[in-house]
Parts: sequence; structure tokens; C-alpha cells
Amino acid sequence: MSRFFATGSDSESEESSSSDEITPKAPGTNFKQSLLLSDDEEDTKRVVRSAKDKRFEELTNLIKTIRNAMKIRDMAKCLEEFEQLCRAFLKSKNIVDKEGVPPFYIRLLADLEDYLNQLWEDKEGKKKMNKNNAKALSTLRQKIRKYNRDYETEIASYKENPQESADEEEEKEPEDSGSSSESDGEGGDEGVSAKAFLKKKPEAASEASKFLKSAKGSGDESSSSEEDDDEDWGSDTIDSGSESSDEGEGKSASLAMVFLKKTQETEKSEKKVPKKKKLKKREDRLEEEAEEEGGEEVEGGWEKVKGGVPLVKEKPKMFAKGTEINTAVVVKKLNEILQARGKKGTDRAAQIELLNALAAIAAENNLGQGILVKIKFNIIASLYDYNPNLAAFMKADMWKKCLDCIDELLDILFENNNIFIGENIAEDSENLGISDQPFRVRGCVLTLVERMDEEFTKIMQNTDPHSQEYVDNLKDEGRVCGIVDRLLNYLENKGSTEEICRIYLRRIMHTYYKFDYKAHRRSLGIQGESKSEQDQEESEGEDSAVIMDRLCKFIYAKDRTDRIRTCAILCHIYHHALHSRWYQARDLMLMSHLQDNIQHADPPVQILYNRTMVQLGICAFRQGMIKDAHNALLDIQSSGRAKELLGQGLLMRNMQERNAEQEKIEKRRQVPFHMHINLELLECVYLVSAMLLEIPYMAAHEFDARRRMISKQFHHQLRVGERQPLLGPPESMREHVVAASKAMKMGDWRTCHSFIINEKMNCKVWDLFPETQRVREMLVRKIQEESLRTYLFTYSSVYDSISMETLSEMFQLEIPTVHSIISKMIINEELMASLDQPTQTVVMHRTEPTSLQNMALQLAEKLGNLVENNERVFDLKQGVYGGYFNRDQKGGYQQKQSYGRDQKGSYQQKQSGYQRGGYRNQNQSNY
Amino acid sequence: NKEKKETNNFNTSVTVLILFSQVVLKIIKHYQEEGQGSEVVQGVLLGLVVDDRLEITNCFPFPQHTEDDADFDEVQYQMEMMRSLRHVNIDHLHVGWYQSTYYGSFVSRALLDSQFSYQHAIEESVVLIYDPIKTAQGSLSLKAYRLTPKLMEICKEKDFTPEGLKKANIGFEHMFEEVPIIIKNSHLINVLMWELEDKSTVADKHELLNLSSSNHLEKSLQLLMDRVDDMSQDIVKYNTYSRNLSKQQQQKHQYLQRRQQENAQRQSRGEPPLPEEDITKMFKPPQPPPRMDTLLIAGQINNYCQNVKEFTSQNLGKLFMAEALQGHN
Repeated sequence: MSRFFATGSDSESEESSSSDEITPKAPGTNFKQSLLLSDDEEDTKRVVRSAKDKRFEELTNLIKTIRNAMKIRDMAKCLEEFEQLCRAFLKSKNIVDKEGVPPFYIRLLADLEDYLNQLWEDKEGKKKMNKNNAKALSTLRQKIRKYNRDYETEIASYKENPQESADEEEEKEPEDSGSSSESDGEGGDEGVSAKAFLKKKPEAASEASKFLKSAKGSGDESSSSEEDDDEDWGSDTIDSGSESSDEGEGKSASLAMVFLKKTQETEKSEKKVPKKKKLKKREDRLEEEAEEEGGEEVEGGWEKVKGGVPLVKEKPKMFAKGTEINTAVVVKKLNEILQARGKKGTDRAAQIELLNALAAIAAENNLGQGILVKIKFNIIASLYDYNPNLAAFMKADMWKKCLDCIDELLDILFENNNIFIGENIAEDSENLGISDQPFRVRGCVLTLVERMDEEFTKIMQNTDPHSQEYVDNLKDEGRVCGIVDRLLNYLENKGSTEEICRIYLRRIMHTYYKFDYKAHRRSLGIQGESKSEQDQEESEGEDSAVIMDRLCKFIYAKDRTDRIRTCAILCHIYHHALHSRWYQARDLMLMSHLQDNIQHADPPVQILYNRTMVQLGICAFRQGMIKDAHNALLDIQSSGRAKELLGQGLLMRNMQERNAEQEKIEKRRQVPFHMHINLELLECVYLVSAMLLEIPYMAAHEFDARRRMISKQFHHQLRVGERQPLLGPPESMREHVVAASKAMKMGDWRTCHSFIINEKMNCKVWDLFPETQRVREMLVRKIQEESLRTYLFTYSSVYDSISMETLSEMFQLEIPTVHSIISKMIINEELMASLDQPTQTVVMHRTEPTSLQNMALQLAEKLGNLVENNERVFDLKQGVYGGYFNRDQKGGYQQKQSYGRDQKGSYQQKQSGYQRGGYRNQNQSNY
Repeated sequence: NKEKKETNNFNTSVTVLILFSQVVLKIIKHYQEEGQGSEVVQGVLLGLVVDDRLEITNCFPFPQHTEDDADFDEVQYQMEMMRSLRHVNIDHLHVGWYQSTYYGSFVSRALLDSQFSYQHAIEESVVLIYDPIKTAQGSLSLKAYRLTPKLMEICKEKDFTPEGLKKANIGFEHMFEEVPIIIKNSHLINVLMWELEDKSTVADKHELLNLSSSNHLEKSLQLLMDRVDDMSQDIVKYNTYSRNLSKQQQQKHQYLQRRQQENAQRQSRGEPPLPEEDITKMFKPPQPPPRMDTLLIAGQINNYCQNVKEFTSQNLGKLFMAEALQGHN
């Protein structure tokens, strides 16, 4: 109800715009149009008033009040009005630009300045003034001085020839006042608003009547309160009138105007009430003509004012009593209701009520399923329309209603096989009546369901994920899925391939992120408690994997829009990855070549892609493919915007970069909370994989100048850890990983293990995996292996030889594993050593260059870079211009670079060889 | 050398620096007391010009001031100091400044700027660079530098764009010139020295025969590498700049051509040619990177190289000596 009033007052303030909205009428409207006809008469009059008139009128009004204030020496009022005048003048600037500064305006400026100067000179009078007025006087004087500087020429010309411009003004004034008495609205601001109200009223009344019709209980309330409102308003104006009359005796002109206005208003408000009543009556007499109304308006009356109230209490009726209710009438009525749709000031809640009532009537009178389906379509559509902007989400009761409605619609569709629905069925070729032919209804269930799905997402997005409300809302997911499933079944029989693809995608979207615990348990071979339960489990439905497979493959084969296929592939991969089917997931990802062109996709698809990549990475980690896991997660994690990239929240720091509009769009893209990927898990997986890769690499390339970081983020974390002045026991996940990395650097796998896998980390991270135990075992194994490698890299220079047995004991690894790891390192030339088979020992070869030599090597490399860069500059100097040629050259450089690296390698070897010689020489010479 | 002669001819006022031993000792003492590690100490040189000699007869340190007394007025302090010295009848003419250095890294923007302002105000002023580390190894290292007239001009114009430097035709070799130093003692001190030398033990004298070298070399290499990195960066910057420039020039060229064609067409149609637009406004040339830093880095690298070369040649000599001794024994 408040809504109703709100809209009413809204349109009041924007009289012109709302009346514009009403005037254009679609042809073929029925009585509703006649209802509005009375407006049009008045409208035509109003349109005459140009923007210029309106603006100037505003100005003259203000000027008048200023003059009045001048007369009574009310400086405060004068100042206030003057400021308003300036503002109003600024508003009408474009008109002034066209027409030139209006003479009456200049006249006021000149007069005001003279007047102020006069007052200023009058010391006596100034002293008598109260403080407020004196202050206002000085400010106003300054202001007008400044202001008048802009209009110097005009003022000068006015002062030269005051009579002429005064005449002009005089001419204008009577004209104005004349028109104001005609209630044409030119006379005064209040007059305008009053008139606007008058104009507004029929519409408001129509709304009111509509409202009355629909909601019987609230109907009388609304009308009575509206009446109250009217009264309030009237008394308000009286108050203001008396106020202004208090203000001074010299204000007779304005006072007169106030009275004038008041009488007008009272007239109007009295007129209004009968009209409203009459409108309602018109509702009853459906086909009444507009002229008749005109007649009635004249007699309309005073007496009937009171009659309006009891009438309100009557039950609102859809149709006149005697009307035979048939399909045609209902359709007509439906159209009539729909006509109001989307218009300003239409009460959407009432509309839904009306439609519901209509549906009930249709059902009551057995008008057949066709019309029912059509009405249902419209009910759902208006439910969606209920929220004016896209950002708002449906209220819970609306949502429930919507779900119910869709369910009912689907019920009807399932029960009646002879209903054809299609977007392409033209309005006039619809067949709604009961006949031998099948029903044909225009509309698209799929769109409705898709919209419903979106609404559901929106609701989830807008609910606080940590509240009970979220859980409650989430329970509707089952219903949504049910509806999608039902529609899927329906469309599989009736829909086109495209439609099937679309609904399949919906189904996929509801499936892909859910972990199938049933299938998981089954695959683990855990039997149900009893035989019967197992049976039940089996009968409950196929594995989500099978469903995904079936749906996705259909889409791959049949879909013609790229987007649906892309989404389906991504969801499929996600689902595979979620269920640890790593190879399938990876192969699908690689075969789809999505990585190449995903940047051209729209943001939601990109978000899905990011989610998929993350899931893929986590899957790889679970499978022990550390490198793959790292690579998959690198892109997401290295940006430091994982949250944003996964659509799981907005980053605060971007606030200044995006405006409110963008933010709204981004908010709409967010993934609902129940689909989120745990960011801490993601980061932990990434950091641990980075640790397992980076620490041995760092140990191996301690002195390498060209050493590149595998993971910048990991290094960042390490540095943060180092910067800490006091190192307490680790608290957060990151601190744990950093502490573990430090332990691993020393080759201390036990400490590393205890940092990575412990109570805290278990509950923070590892327990989130479905196969916790397996993952943990894998991790321990990896830690042992990588620690061994790190140990060998770091401390090989200390040993002359080391037995593999010791190593295997130290790292709790079997000897064959140790053997294979060391062999691999030797083959890859990472470790300068050889294996002594009979004694099972590793014999180290001393080849490590001294730090000075290392330094020299680094320097050499850097100088190489420098020369390269220099050459590039030189090439530019040679006058090789831009584009194609340049790129070619760059390639050449890269080749050169790699060549250089080769060279460097060989150089290093040579160096080490030389060094070995050097040592021998020294040895010889020493003894 | 030739270069140096030329510049010397140009700037004939001072050809040699006479350094009083007192100044040397004072500088060394200053560093011992206040400088540690890579920190530098600075001070003012006092003296006067006699013919073509610049005699530096005294000096005083700049006080090390911390963050706390930010309102400390250095100029005021110098003036006070000079006035006081004048009262005790010591040369009070400001002729330059000294600075300690860490492994020979002194060619920097700060040094350039302050030396420029010195030389701008007092033409004959020099900067005395004291290398404490080399000195600790047994050979006193003091060097006097001043800016070449060429560099002075460039600094005056403040034109450090690539074109400006190209026009000035200046390389890193011609930025600073070294002024030969003669350390002069009074006869009394000479006598004392003779006496002291007799008394000193052999070990004191042979500090310069120390064979351990890697530490010093490592440090030098490290610093050298840092400079090389900087240089690389600068070059990359310059590279992008010149690429941008050429790209833009190409665009400009194309634009002009198009314009010409259009004008020709218009002419054939008898229409007036398009009005000339401000082309420089449309194609704003990219901001050229200042090249002075690059020059300085180059100078610094050169300096390091000289250092390392000197050091290694000395060391090689020492090694050969050691080998010979070994063989002899």
C-alpha cells in the first residue's frame, strides 16, 4: 500500500514525464483507454506550455516573492529567495541561451542592487534591523554585486531605458495572471502543482480502483487513507497560507494568490473524489462510452463524495455480473491487465493478484487448459517483473509462489499432451479455446525456467551465506533441480535440439559442482549397512558421472552455439576433476583447446574456466602430479586475485578503479556460496606444490645467475616469513608452509612433515579432500623424496661419499627408491657423483666452483645480457623500422639467447674441468 | 693522456695538487673514527692556489648528523668553522671536499651534483677520494678528481637527453679528470719519518704482501655486477624508448603522406587544402630517458674494472713472487 502511495507521489513530482507515458496508447485497447480519455482533453491544453514558459514562470514567481520581501525589508527572506532564483536561472540556462536574458530578470537584478545600496546607505535603518537581517543584507549585497558583474551590459542598458523593459514586463504580467485564473497553471507554482495534481488524479484514481478491485480488505483502507491525505494536504496549504500572511502586510498580492490557489485546490480535491468513484463505477459498466462520462463529470458531484466510501467495501469484481465468461472475454481481460504491465505507477503486486484471480475464474469456468497455461505464463512473467531492477532479488514468498506456479504449469503440460507451446506462435494464431484442435499457446517454458534458475542464483547471491536463511534457501535447490528435471523430460519429448541443449546445460550446471558421495562410496566398495539399503541406493538413480557424460556428449554432438558447448566441456572437466578422474579431465581440457581462446569468452564463462582449472589443479595434486598441479594453479594464484577470478567475492582495492555500475555487474557474476572453492585449500595446495618444486630447485641452483623463480608467490611468502622479527610457532596455513619450507631446505623431512600434516592443517585443509588419508600418504612420500634431493644438493659438498643405506634410513625410504632418485639426479647432471654398486654408496665428485668463480660466471652472464641489449639498441640505430622485420629479429635474438645458454653450459663444464686440474696441480705442488 | 693534456691546457689554472700530510692524516682519522663499512664520510678541504698548484693545507670533517637534529644548518657550521680557523691563522679558503669510498664506488649522481656546485662556485675546487680498504691493505689510496669543462657545460644546461649528450660528444672517460697529487711534508716530519722507519718492525711494513685476495675480489665483483644490472636496465629502457620513437616517427610519416595525398586530391577537385594542424601536438614524442645516469654507471663500471685490474695485477705479481720464494726455499 505504501508502495502505491509512493508511486503516486513520484508521478506527481514528475508530472510531465508520467503524463507523457500515458498519452501514447497502443491501438486496440479496450475500455481502459476510454477511461483515460478524459485525461487527454486536459493533456492537450497542457502540452501548449513550452519549457520556456515554465521556466520563466518559475522565475517570475520567485521575483515576485523577492519584491514582496523587499517591500517589507525582510532581508533573510530576500537572500533565500535570491539564491533560489539564481539556481532556477541556472536551470533554465539553455533556454536563456536561446532567448536571451529575460528583461524582467535584469530588471529585478538592477532594482535589487539599487535597493540594497539604498538600504546600505541608510545607517539608521541598518541599526534598527535585527541581527539576522543585517547579516543577510551584507551577504546579499556582496552576492548581488558579484552576480551582477556578469550582466553589466544588460543592466546598464536597462538603467538607460528602464521604461521600455518595464513595459514589457507589465505586458507579461497581466497575461500571466490571466492565465493563472484560468487555472491553466501559468499563474503560480502552486497553481501548477494543483493542476498537475488534477491531471494526475484520474490516473491515480484508476490505480486506486484497480487496487480496490483486487484487494478487498486493503481496498477501503487505501482509499480512506488517501482521503486523509487529501485533507492533510489541504490543511497544509492553509497553514502555509497563514504563515505567509503572518509574514507581512505588504504581501497582499501573494496572499491573494494563496487564497486563489486554495479555492482552486478545494475545488479540485472535491472534484477528484467523485471522479474516482465514478471511475470505479465505470469499472462495473464495462463498455460505457467516454462522452457519457463527460456528462457525468459536469453533474458529478458534491453529493456523491460520501458515496465513494461504502462502495469501496464491495467485493471487487473481475467481470460484470451478467457477463458470460468465455475464452474471448478472459483473453480480453488478460490483455487489459497486461496492458498496464511495465508502466510507471502500475502496482505490480496487484497485477499478480489480478492475474491469479483471473486464473481462478478461468479454472472455475472450465475454460480449458490453454487459457490456463497462458495465464500461468503471464503470472510467472509478472512475478519476474515484480522487481524493477535487475540487481534486486525475489522475496521469499514471491519465490515460493513462482516455484509453485511453474510446478503447476508443468503439471498441466504433462497432463495434457495436446498443448503446443512456442515462442514463434503468433498472438493471433493461438488456439486457446476448447476445440478439437490441440491448444496452441505462445510462450516459452524453457525461458521461464532459465529465468527461475537465474532468480535462484540471485537469491543465493544475496543471502548471507553464514545464516540459517541461506540453508533454508538452499533447500529450494532440490525443487529447482526437480523442475529442471521435469522440464528436461518434457523437452526431451517435445523440444527442439537447441532447447534440449539449453535445458541439458541447466541440468549440468546444477550437477557439475556436487561431489557424488554415493558413487564415491560405491567405488570404494563399501557395502551399505544392509542388503535392502544397497538396493535402495542403486535404485535411487544413476551416477552423476553417467548423467554428466550423457548430457555433455549430447551437447557436444548437437549444440550449435559455441557457448553452451564450452560451458558443458568445462563443467564436464570440473566434474571429472572433482571425482579424481585426472586423466579424463586433463585429456578433455587439452583436446578442447580451450586454453587458447578462453580470453575471448564472456566473463561468466571465464569464471567457469578458472574454476575448472583450479579444480583440475587440485585434482592433479591429489593424484600426486605436483608439477601439473602447480602449472594449473599458477595462473590463478600468481595474480593474487584468486577470489575475484573465481567469482567468489570482490576485492576491495579495486574500488577506485571501477564505478558503481561495474561493481553491480561484477556482483551479479558472483558464484553462490555453496559452489565456492575453498580459497585456503587452493592456496595451500598451490603453496605446497610450489614448495615441493621450488626448494630442491633452489638448492640445486644456489649460485646460478640465471636462476628463475618457479613460483613468485611462494618466494613472496618466504620473504614475508624472513622479514618477521620474531618467529613464533606457525599459526596460519601460510606460516605452516613457510616453516615447512625452511625445514625442507635443511633436508629435515620430519620437521617438514610435522608442519605440513598436523591437527591444524588437517582441519584447515586436508580434511576437505574426499580421500584425506590417501592424499596425506602421498604428501608424506613426496616430502621425503624432495627432502632427499634437497639434502643431496645442499650437502653433497660436505661428503666424499655417502652410503645409500644411511640415506634410506634418514629419509625413511626404501633403498631402491633412493637408488632411483640418485640415479635420476646423476643422469640429469644435477648431482656430480657416481654410484658405487658393490658398497651401495654414492661417491661425490668435487666440482663445485668457489664462490668467486661463481661470481665470475654470473658476471659473465650478465655481461652477455648487456651486450645483447646493447646490440639491440645498435640495430635500432641502423634504422630498422618497426613491425614485421623487428619481430623477426627478436626471434633471432631468442635463438641467440638459447645458443648463449648452451655455450654457457659448455663453458661451465670447461671451467669445472679446468678447476679440477687446478686442484690436482695444487695437490701435486704441495707435496 | 692526450685528452687530459688538452683539457689541462684549457683549464690551466691548476695542474697539480699539493697535499699536506696533515690533511691525509686527518682524513684517515676521520674515517677511522666515524666511517664503518659502506658508510661514507665527507669533509671540507681548505687551501689556496699558488701559480698552477693547488695547495691543500688543512681540512675539517662534516659532522655526522642524525635524523634527530634535522634543523642542523650545515652551511652555518662550515662558515663558523672557517671563521674560527681564520682566527688561528690557518688557510681558510674553501678549495674542495673529500669523501671516503667503499671499494671504489664513488661515481654517483650525488657526487656529480655536489662537485658541480662546488666547481660552479669555486672554479679550482676538487674532490678528494679516499679508499680506506685499499689503504688498509698497505697502499695509501687518495685520488683527486674534478669535472671536465665539457661536463660542466652539460651540467649547466641540464640537458641529459640522449641528443644533448650526443651533441656534447661526451663519454664516460671524459667526465672526470684526475689531478695528480703530491704529498708534501715539512722537513721536520720527514726527519721524524726517517726515525720511525728505523724503529718499525718488518711485519708492519709487509702488510702489502698479503696474499689473500678472494674476499676483496668477490666484493668488487658483486658491486660490479650490481652496476652491470643497472646498466642493463638502463639500456632496456633506452631501447624501448628508441623503439617507441621510431614507431611514432613512422606513424607521423604515414600521417603526413596521407595528408599530402588528400590535399592533392582536394587540389584536383579545386577545394582548398586542409588546414595545417599542429603535428607535434598530435604525436607527442615519448619522454626520453635521462642518459646521465647511464654515463655515471659506465664511469663507475670503468672504475671498478680499473680497480680489479690493478688489484689482480698486483696479486699476480705477489703470487709469482711467492712461487719464486717457494722454489727458492
